[in-house]
Amino acid sequence: MEWTPALLDELRALLGDDGVLTSEAARFTYEADALALERHMPDVVALPRSTDEVAALMAWAHAHDVPLTPRGAGTGLAGGSTPERGGIVLSMNRMDQVLRVDAERMFAWVQPGLVNLWLSNRLAPLGLTYAPDPASQQVSTIGGNVATNAGGPHCLKYGVTFNHTLGMVAVLHDGTVVTLGGEAPDAPDHDLAAIVTGSEGTLAVVAEICVRLLPVPEAVKTMLFDFLEVEDACRAVSAVIAQGIVPAAMEIMDRHTVGLVEAWLHLGLPLDAGAVLLIEVDGPAVSLERQVERIVGIANAHHSRSTRVAKDAAERAAFWRGRKSSFGAYGRAASGFYIMDGVVPRTRLAEALSTIYRLARENGLGAGNVFHAGDGNLHPHVLFDADDEHQQRAALEVSHEILRMCIRMGGTISGEHGVGIEKVPMMSELYAPADLALMERLRAAFDPSGLLNADKILPGGAGCGEAHARGPGDQAAAHAPAQLGGMRPTADGEGPWM
Amino acid sequence: MTSALISALDPARAADPARYAIADAVPRVAVRPVTREEVSEALRAATRERLGVVPWGGGVALARDRAPERYDLALDLTALDRIVEYEPEDMTLTAECGATLATLAAALAARGQELPLEAPRAARATLGGALAANASGPRRLRFGAPRDRILGARYALADGTLARTGGRVVKNVAGYALHRLACGSRGGLAVILEASLKLLPAPETRVALVFGASAADVADGARWATFPRLEPALFTVVRGALAGALPVAAPTAPFTVFVGLEDDAPRVAEQEAACVRALGDPDARLEGESVAALWQSLTDLEDAAPARLTFTTADNTPEALAPLLDLVPDVPVMFHAPAGRLHVFAGPPHVAAVVAALAPPRFQLVDVAGMEPPEPIVAPQAAVLALRARIRSALDPAGTLALGPRWERGGF
Repeated sequence: MEWTPALLDELRALLGDDGVLTSEAARFTYEADALALERHMPDVVALPRSTDEVAALMAWAHAHDVPLTPRGAGTGLAGGSTPERGGIVLSMNRMDQVLRVDAERMFAWVQPGLVNLWLSNRLAPLGLTYAPDPASQQVSTIGGNVATNAGGPHCLKYGVTFNHTLGMVAVLHDGTVVTLGGEAPDAPDHDLAAIVTGSEGTLAVVAEICVRLLPVPEAVKTMLFDFLEVEDACRAVSAVIAQGIVPAAMEIMDRHTVGLVEAWLHLGLPLDAGAVLLIEVDGPAVSLERQVERIVGIANAHHSRSTRVAKDAAERAAFWRGRKSSFGAYGRAASGFYIMDGVVPRTRLAEALSTIYRLARENGLGAGNVFHAGDGNLHPHVLFDADDEHQQRAALEVSHEILRMCIRMGGTISGEHGVGIEKVPMMSELYAPADLALMERLRAAFDPSGLLNADKILPGGAGCGEAHARGPGDQAAAHAPAQLGGMRPTADGEGPWM
Repeated sequence: MTSALISALDPARAADPARYAIADAVPRVAVRPVTREEVSEALRAATRERLGVVPWGGGVALARDRAPERYDLALDLTALDRIVEYEPEDMTLTAECGATLATLAAALAARGQELPLEAPRAARATLGGALAANASGPRRLRFGAPRDRILGARYALADGTLARTGGRVVKNVAGYALHRLACGSRGGLAVILEASLKLLPAPETRVALVFGASAADVADGARWATFPRLEPALFTVVRGALAGALPVAAPTAPFTVFVGLEDDAPRVAEQEAACVRALGDPDARLEGESVAALWQSLTDLEDAAPARLTFTTADNTPEALAPLLDLVPDVPVMFHAPAGRLHVFAGPPHVAAVVAALAPPRFQLVDVAGMEPPEPIVAPQAAVLALRARIRSALDPAGTLALGPRWERGGF
């Protein structure tokens, strides 16, 4: 559409002068999320401050047939907040408040632009916490977490974002405001909140969220084991679960990852280890001693070569630092790498890893793994030289082959990052046409216009004209800059986060 | 037209319609398919013949339901009862909808794991039925709701199409989670054929503490203040003669408070000491297997009276019952405190008073059994009703699934 000054004035009347950004510099910031591969400039960036303003904006966009893409912090790794059709990016940056905390009944209402970690920081003096902790939690927003039903290292025990979402105020495609769920477990219309969660901003825009709070665990114990063979580490993980222990987190870094992290940070990780396994248990202090004992026993039975139990918070932070810096370490090591988010049943982890290494080797590529072992959520990295087109193409093929393997093993293509744009081509490998047709009908029921975060998730798009999913295999990918898979690691290893 | 339907189906699958009455409504035909393809075929034929279909599990929730507006075909799914995949080390289970909760629980118990679903009459209640009814028992907060536990499902849509969403793994954000939406849909959106669930390890130690309480005790907030953060597995208050139906000697006090502790032995001991500090010595204490039986009896109590109103509230201690204390002294009540689920067993003479006392926003009426629902105090959101209508018509445009209109009205 033609963005006349009169139309922009209408928007400014709704959101205020500072709520509408149109300069090229401002719009440039919103052309992609952490999937730098795919970019598209929005025509306008809108920054509402309240649910009413979100509703007014969406009603306006609906009346003018303008595509609208909601966005939190833009840490998404799948292109979920890239404005594929231009139009408006609805940024939640200014809706970042904790609206209300009810410490007795243990819930809080928050705005979607609230940074995840800020909520737990705010709650700490009350002895409460918000459990979902995606690795991006210093930056990513609760609204974005709801959109991708985000997990995090501790979702093994505590579950994913939906398990902590009691209710929401959501705005439908035409600006209609609805309350779904509420403060009580199983409040009316919670079933609708259940499907909006994880829908990547394609069904509704979430404008207020009621989250469930938990008491801060009384104690935490963090252990670090190393294994000669990564397969042994995987089997130890399964054995822990089989023994009826549900740790807060079980994370594995393989040899490749350990080598890169160690070369950079010198944390004292064993370079000859096939894998380093981090296990964290939390809960009542009285339970932990014995849990640690049992876990150490299981690890030893699976040929763990060494055991370290963090003595204090500083040592615990050091253990986690290695894990959390992995992605930065990859960024330093290769000019390009492709990250996946596939999931396999926990019991098939060892087999999945062997296959990944073999596929990479056969194609002359390096591959490493650092992943949420407890959940079977793999984050394989396929490394390549970004200046070598042949390698790039091979890396993409290997990446797709890895996701196909996840599907064959009874798993899925995304555990926590979402489908976005990036994995759209894989959806028709994961699901049958009837499944996808069902999902398209659901989407159209929420958004008959098809303009709400258009072209995401489903291969056909909903009500799409020119819409098509650009998979990493086509022209866009061939000319992509250095990092396929969208890596923007900084020198200190911050981001991307998984 | 029913003959056209029957001719489309294997006569060996015909069942006696009288066994599938809902309130006073008896379907014209009942079938019990044994494969998902037969379910699909029955639905396709029903849609073609414009029949109203109600999928049946064990009939636990339906037995106390109101008659649907139209009811031609009962689709009995109890023959689809296989465990499709159970890998204890994955802590996930995939089973067909007709498997009973008792069967599944036994299979899991043999491997030290627990089914995180509770429904009355577990020997009869099926997986599909518990999901479709959004069954929720006394350990609701520990387990989560069915939609918190479901990982994926396979369905037969109203037109017979077989489809699935989600999967078997514990993390999955690929596509829309119709499986979560289907929980609580009463089979009004799609027929659930198979579901995958995230399981829990069985606790090492189970203890039940039983305390008598007066009305004044119940209303005394300070008495209960430590409980939400103590996180007991179960914390239920029962008023009235109901408690007499339980396999434990009920105290003579007007209220009986049950505290359930499930964890490793040291933690249970610590929690028990905290309970005794707050409430004094219990009137009864159970441990081990008898505890699980008591939990099931508490779950069964939901259906112990002819009529029931169920409310949900964010209040998480017995003090929530205060608005009821003087109002209807003889009406039995059961409150599962941690999850704020309140059952009031009030028949028509008391309904208006109860609904007025337990008004929004603090309480919300979410279910009615054994009678017609009362007029809502706060009208449902028109935009939500419109959205529900669009979703239903997207999934079942012909209106084959007879409980769909009720789902569309938010359950009423």
